[in-house]
Amino acid sequence: MKLSTRKLIASLGAAALVSTLAVVTVPAARAAAPTCTTAADVEICKGTLANGAAYTFRVPGNFRGTMFFWEHGIRPTYPGISAVPTGIEEITPANSVTKKDITKEMLKAGYGLAAYDGTDKGARGWNNIARVEMLKEVIDTAVAKYGAKIQKKVIYGSSQAGSIITPFVEKYPTYADSVGILAGVTPSVADPIQSACDIFYILSVFADPTIKGCAVFGTKGLPGHMISAGELGKVVALLRAWQGNYGAPGLEYPAQLKGSPIPQRSALLLTGLLTGVPTKSAHMDGISTSTLVAEHSINATVAILENLGEAVASGVIAGQSLSEITGPGFYDNTKTDWAAMLDEADAGRYNLGLSGDDGINAMLGVLKAAPRVTGNADAIAKFKALDKSSFTSKHPTILLSNEADRLVFAGNSSRYVDRKRAVYEKALAAWEANKTGKKPIWNTLAIYAMTPEIYTKFLATGAPDLTATPAESGVGHQTFSVKQMKAWVDMLAVAAKSGKVPTAKYVEYIATKVPYLNGDTEYRPNDLKYDSGF
Amino acid sequence: MKNRASLSRSPRKSLATAAAVLAGALAFTALPAQGASTPGVSDTEIVLGMQLPQTGGASPGYNKVDDAMRAYFDYVNSKGGVNGRKITLVAYDDEYKAGKTVSTASKLITKDKVFAMVGSVGTQTHISVIKDINRRGIPDLFVNSGYSGFYTDPKKYPTTFGALGTYVVEAKILGKYIKENMADKTLGILRQTDDFGRNTLAGLNTAGLTFTPDKTDAKFIAGAQAVPGALDAQMKQLQDNKVDVVIVGATASAFAAAVGSALKIGYRPQYVVISVGSDATTFQTILGARGTAPAVSAALLAGTISASHAPSPGEADDEFVKAFKKINDEFNKGPAAGKVWDNNVLQGMNIGYLTTAALQGAGKNLTRPGIIKFIENNASKLTSAGLSPLGYSAKTHEAFTGFWIGKYDATSVLKPIDGTRKMWTTDSAKGLVTELKYTRPAIAADALPKVG
Repeated sequence: MKLSTRKLIASLGAAALVSTLAVVTVPAARAAAPTCTTAADVEICKGTLANGAAYTFRVPGNFRGTMFFWEHGIRPTYPGISAVPTGIEEITPANSVTKKDITKEMLKAGYGLAAYDGTDKGARGWNNIARVEMLKEVIDTAVAKYGAKIQKKVIYGSSQAGSIITPFVEKYPTYADSVGILAGVTPSVADPIQSACDIFYILSVFADPTIKGCAVFGTKGLPGHMISAGELGKVVALLRAWQGNYGAPGLEYPAQLKGSPIPQRSALLLTGLLTGVPTKSAHMDGISTSTLVAEHSINATVAILENLGEAVASGVIAGQSLSEITGPGFYDNTKTDWAAMLDEADAGRYNLGLSGDDGINAMLGVLKAAPRVTGNADAIAKFKALDKSSFTSKHPTILLSNEADRLVFAGNSSRYVDRKRAVYEKALAAWEANKTGKKPIWNTLAIYAMTPEIYTKFLATGAPDLTATPAESGVGHQTFSVKQMKAWVDMLAVAAKSGKVPTAKYVEYIATKVPYLNGDTEYRPNDLKYDSGF
Repeated sequence: MKNRASLSRSPRKSLATAAAVLAGALAFTALPAQGASTPGVSDTEIVLGMQLPQTGGASPGYNKVDDAMRAYFDYVNSKGGVNGRKITLVAYDDEYKAGKTVSTASKLITKDKVFAMVGSVGTQTHISVIKDINRRGIPDLFVNSGYSGFYTDPKKYPTTFGALGTYVVEAKILGKYIKENMADKTLGILRQTDDFGRNTLAGLNTAGLTFTPDKTDAKFIAGAQAVPGALDAQMKQLQDNKVDVVIVGATASAFAAAVGSALKIGYRPQYVVISVGSDATTFQTILGARGTAPAVSAALLAGTISASHAPSPGEADDEFVKAFKKINDEFNKGPAAGKVWDNNVLQGMNIGYLTTAALQGAGKNLTRPGIIKFIENNASKLTSAGLSPLGYSAKTHEAFTGFWIGKYDATSVLKPIDGTRKMWTTDSAKGLVTELKYTRPAIAADALPKVG
């Protein structure tokens, strides 16, 4: 399996460095006027925001009045282990693996494009508050340049952008006509990060007691980066070992379980299930079996193995960055009920892989008894209140996620829908009571890219081929097909004009034209494991 | 995969080009909102969905249930259907792989747009989709699993109803029999460490039977029995501890494996098996695949004690057996081996009958909440071949609350253990096991339920 250790470490390094400057700064909204050229019937404008970050506009000759403003995800800050972006990396949604974007398709459709580099005075990371203002500045600059030619504005973005766009449209409601969130972290980053930190903790109990994980995050600057990199390194070492033997040897830790018939892979599977790591991955479909992968739960275990690296890396990248905002001690698991975290369906479905009820009970028993991590009350409160939004935006909002996103779990999207629905139902009840004013309309839609049913390939030995072509849809983070991304932006464009998200019937129809796009608007992925309430 | 041939739905093919997708997008708000009509129900048709292992290691026996159900529905359709609507059953093969259960459920719900799921087979597979089916409010009728966790808390799974008695009820009843009739024997248990085995142990414990870990309590991880010799150690453990009576809380494939392991060491205890583990067809098919001749596997099964809520398929004089057998002969379009009359076919026919009764009772204005409410409030009107009443109510969605105890004879027919059938009843909690006095309502001359 290619876990791309260097990449993980590289990402971590960047994230840790980001955090050194991830403080609240609000740039002045005075971007330099852009300089523009025209080529192949597309006007390309470039300029810098007041804080020095670059922005660009691309407007085709057939511009129809709808301007898309792209918000990219988390990026590293400093050179060192990994390459640092030298400017604007993405103009439009792009597949993070193939790098294929839809710039050409969007221009051809007559959409105007805007994008910027989310660097605030050299810092990236979890700089959401600054980026809300940077986005406003980009839009102001575009409107100043194009005036009434811009009839509709679509605010859309990926991953971390979910945590930027959501508060943005609440703060500046007139700046958007429709909103798109792609594989987005929203409502609160605290919920998925708590799960990522749990991964470290559970692995420390079952595999490597030297792992401290999020408990040691919070040191600023390079020292903090080195500490978090060290924690990630321990996990990567574990994953490499399991890559070789699929976790077949018996548990070495904790002492109570050493010598038990429970293999390490059962603990790996339990770790994934307790923390919500997808049981499908780029190469493992959670179903197919072979002489070596004798049962579907073993397939799912290898999927978790394949996913875990990025899941933990994202925990490190975001966690270290967040810890610089919250201070050390944001992670606390003193009240975690591990048994309650194991879904009844998972315990039944993956019973064999978990070594049966006895294995489950034994592992949950030692987790219950293991010493807990006690956090710092102030840091915990700040952590839980990160990216606090009201979900009162009435803009048509369309989310697109991969069914088995291993970095930003798909449950983020359904959680966002839940939050919006609660607000909508309250507003509707109030309207029903008085029948005054405009009747609230439901204006949020979450759609999902699904995996093929079967796609695992096996080598002649029976081992899964983890170097084969990955699943063509539904796995990975921000890895959508051109057709999926184009269908999404088309829906956003029309929603901006109509003020409404598409009907279920329409989504069902479009899904027949776009491979692996789920036309079932009632589909719900696995829920996130935590709900901090924001 | 078996499926019905028709029920095609035609997307608007004229809008097939990429450009048209955008054009369609521009028009989407003008399209009508999703209709308020009940999915899977038209003036002429009711579409039902089912998931079961039609292929793979877990399929023997169970793979006959869908054809039997369809045969009964085809018979109903030949008589005009229910309230003028014909019943269409769409069944997909999940191979007893939970991942496929998830994908086939999605297909049934979103592509086939079924009104209800009915008769789906398997605990480990169904647990993977039960939450989603319930969340969507889709009736999840007459599930072929005895796991009590699906039925005893309707607040948790409000749309799910069982088709069997629960493993707890059955274990309590068998436990009472064992306690009263085998007190001088050393008792042991072979159980799966999962929902099934947990239910079985709970029922036996409630009946007052206890087992000693690592001595008379032998357990294994469900699914492990697929590996040859996987249960050797467990059977050796029971033999070493001089267990005379082995109670089996496991699937038929595990029971077959256990019998094989015991034979290798010359161990021939009395087996008492929860009914899904002792299905004769399944047991013999599994052993047959390992090279055991039918006569030998029949001999191995003979003498095994088990239980049933329904008449034995070999009871040729039973009026339900007689009627269902006739319908099976005339309407079952399954493969030749699949339509051979046995307990699985009887169970499939009975679920078809029960479903028809529930559809009748729900009335012409058929809705999802309507049929759930009807079943909850009218269990006494829902008769079937079962020899005990159905337990459905707002408080529990358990099916049959009674069992009779029998012993397999040399022809693999389960017969009442002392010659006369006595029904016993209890609940899935701590209630006592008592004798059941119940007279099953007769089947009508046309073999159709008369409800509503």
